[in-house]
Amino acid sequence: MNDFCTKIAEILDAESVNENDVLGDFQEWDSLSVLSTIAMLDAKYGVNVTAMDLKDVQTVADLWNLTQAKKKA
Amino acid sequence: MSQQPPYTLVTGASSGIGRAIAERLVRSRRLILHGRDNGRLEETRSACARPESHLLWTHDFRQVAQVAPALTGLLIGQGMAVDGFVHCAGAVHVLPARSARLEAVLESLNVNYVAAQQIIATLLKKRVNPGRLRSVVVISSIWSQFGARGHSLYCASKAALDGMVRALAVELAPDVRVNSVLPGAVRTPMAEAALADPRIVEGLRQNYPLGLGQPADVAAAVEFLMSEDARWITGQQFVVDGGRTVNMSHK
Repeated sequence: MNDFCTKIAEILDAESVNENDVLGDFQEWDSLSVLSTIAMLDAKYGVNVTAMDLKDVQTVADLWNLTQAKKKA
Repeated sequence: MSQQPPYTLVTGASSGIGRAIAERLVRSRRLILHGRDNGRLEETRSACARPESHLLWTHDFRQVAQVAPALTGLLIGQGMAVDGFVHCAGAVHVLPARSARLEAVLESLNVNYVAAQQIIATLLKKRVNPGRLRSVVVISSIWSQFGARGHSLYCASKAALDGMVRALAVELAPDVRVNSVLPGAVRTPMAEAALADPRIVEGLRQNYPLGLGQPADVAAAVEFLMSEDARWITGQQFVVDGGRTVNMSHK
């Protein structure tokens, strides 16, 4: 989860993020960040998340849970 | 020691396009199959005709300083010659420019370009592979010619590869032909997941006059460029993209 937060922070150009942070609150959470996140989840976690999947994601923790759920599927 | 028939080296042979290239070239060549993961490489070898006549080379191209020594050791150790080289290993980092950390930049360059240059240098060495290399094909991308958001690392590394191809085509003629294949979007396991998104499917349908490609479509172009039928073709960027890059239709 720590490593996951580091990756998200990197994409968002934030010093750090924690699991309760709402992605939509970041000015940088735009379509390019969404694209980068999808690519990162594939490369680092081996999961394929679509832009549609991300519509229901609010917080960093939601994204983490989605990633874990996809991994098991 | 070089009396046995020469091999063709295919890097990135455990992935979609690389594996398709291996399965295609195996009809006429003995292969050295390169990949990062030995297990997946074994799968590629099993899928090939006459699996026992092909060799595996496991190496992580992020360790780029070790590429030339490792390949040198392999060829001299086994007394093998290599007359063909296909570079299909690739790394993709999609990142906003503001997030392009050095590690990601170097990984893109090392895997996509530097490793290929080091392999070619090795295959041209007199004491390793004396005068045996004949044809090189690198897998570039239509993105080497154009831009896409988040793709500055990928576009730059593939453009480096294409620049190398043109220069080497001139430098190594007439003994060695060097070409690149520029695929568009191809159906690989990773792309299949994106195709679950109807908006992406609709976008691709509009952009690709011939629809999405298959790994075998790329492999067929590689086989042609590697063959004697392409004996008067060198230094070229061979676009295999279902018409994507010539499509100027209004959306």
